[in-house]
Amino acid sequence: MSLVAIAEKDFQEAVRSRGMLILVALFSLLVAIFAYVVRPTGQGEQFATEALLSFAVGPFLVTTLVPLVGVVVGYNAVSGERESGSLKLLLSLPHSRADVVFGKVIGRGGALALAVLAGFLLPGLVLFALAQTGALATFNVGAFLGYTVFAAVLGIVFVAITVGCSAAATTQRRALIGGVAIFVLFVVLWGFVTGQLLDAASGLIDPLPVSQRQVRVFLRVANPISGVELLSSAFLGEQLFSGETVNRQISAVSMLVFWTIAPPLAGLWKFDGDDL
Amino acid sequence: MTAIELRGVTKEFADVTAVRGLDLSVEEGEVYGFLGPNGAGKSTTIDMVLDLVRPTEGTVRVLGRDATAEGVAIRRRTGVLPDGFAVYDRLSGRKHVEFAVRSKEADDDPDALLDRVGLLGDADRKAGGYSKGMRQRLALAMALAGDPDLLILDEPSSGLDPAGAKEMREIVRAEADRGATVFFSSHILEQVEAVCDRVGILRDGELVAEDSVEGLREAVGGEETLEIAIEGDGDESATDAVRDVDGVSRVDRDGDVLVVSCADGAKTRVIGALEDAGVAVADFHTREASLEDLFLAYTEGDAPSERAGEAPEEVSR
Repeated sequence: MSLVAIAEKDFQEAVRSRGMLILVALFSLLVAIFAYVVRPTGQGEQFATEALLSFAVGPFLVTTLVPLVGVVVGYNAVSGERESGSLKLLLSLPHSRADVVFGKVIGRGGALALAVLAGFLLPGLVLFALAQTGALATFNVGAFLGYTVFAAVLGIVFVAITVGCSAAATTQRRALIGGVAIFVLFVVLWGFVTGQLLDAASGLIDPLPVSQRQVRVFLRVANPISGVELLSSAFLGEQLFSGETVNRQISAVSMLVFWTIAPPLAGLWKFDGDDL
Repeated sequence: MTAIELRGVTKEFADVTAVRGLDLSVEEGEVYGFLGPNGAGKSTTIDMVLDLVRPTEGTVRVLGRDATAEGVAIRRRTGVLPDGFAVYDRLSGRKHVEFAVRSKEADDDPDALLDRVGLLGDADRKAGGYSKGMRQRLALAMALAGDPDLLILDEPSSGLDPAGAKEMREIVRAEADRGATVFFSSHILEQVEAVCDRVGILRDGELVAEDSVEGLREAVGGEETLEIAIEGDGDESATDAVRDVDGVSRVDRDGDVLVVSCADGAKTRVIGALEDAGVAVADFHTREASLEDLFLAYTEGDAPSERAGEAPEEVSR
């Protein structure tokens, strides 16, 4: 009850911000530009929804912009209220600190998901209308909508990671530094960092009944971005939870769940012991 | 039952001890004024009652429950007007109150609460555009949601104009008449005199006095203050002679003027003692100790803190 109240309050606050509108406009614009770029040039050639998503929207929009937006939406969730003093108002009411952290994850995650859905749906509607009027040969609505959901999930995961960091930070500055670090780690340095870790820990892995390669594959899908990429391409190839990558897909899903729950819990552990 | 009970509470921050060995009880149904200069530890104490800050030592119990372990249950029955808070800039005043009502699982009409604090006309405006006083009223409306058993108001009059401060006092009175316990802090004594059953004075993290306002006045022995202008260079003997007089609680020397705090009947004895000591009195007059004097006596230096501790309970109420 308390959790829902906070989530709703936070959601209302987020959707009233100007950033929200900018975000929807930005997503719409970028999707529209990509759709224009990959439009069929020859007569009778089909509009390749899957190609649009996996070669244009995917690598440019989803795997960098969505995590970035997630970090921006989440980093000041708790630390911002702590620094301004509105956290005092919030905790004067019968809310636990756990309600605050998870309410923020839900509220802000929801707001981001809404922005992604709205941003994709507007150009989606245009493409759908074009397909209806025959200006466009085909438009795969199911693939487009499904892909949008994967993009939204990725955003929510990044909100969760960053809200956890925000709860642990005592100042806005530290929360911002944490947010930047999260973005750089997952978007830029993941392969390098996990590679270094793997090399350092090779002595520990050898006695285990797993190969270096298996661990490497696991670490790759442990990054929520790679995880969502794997799942969405399986989805576009109509091989979701089937085919030869099924084990990796399951790993990816479990790691997405892990990233949604563990960082907020870790942040809460610190936040719960702090003097505010 | 005791509404607020602190036992041996100490709070040490990294660089400062904000509260030390504090014992404090606020009985159910009373209006308790918590006084002290800025930096005395009032807000830290209130933050511990609200579980925003955890004590280094000692126990804090509110409405019979442990403040840290059962904070949510406590706050369900408590209304709080915090100090140094911020509002949610993008949400309207009404949304704030709706949120408070919902959080407390109460069934108040948000508009009725807003009307009570005089904010109904601005209910649909975003709270980010509110003045300091309006924010204060908004937080009060949120605090009043759910008819709390305990109201905790941290510097409630800050940011309010005199009319607003008067309305605040009327609301405090009305809540007390309803049966609520009211605990509020202030650094201005006049504000508490009109509404408080009891006041406690905090200085450097310690409770230096706790009584009714009249009781404190008597404890300081400040029914009157004598200002005596003496002639000559007047050495220390004048001050010493007066200090030894029965009924004198305090003597300050300000150039040629002795400022003497004494009991009613001691006036003639003071003058007599000066004459016996060979000090010529040029002029003297009396004035009643203002509340400000009283407050300063406790919060600055040489307060008769032991005497205040012994102050008889029966003078209250």
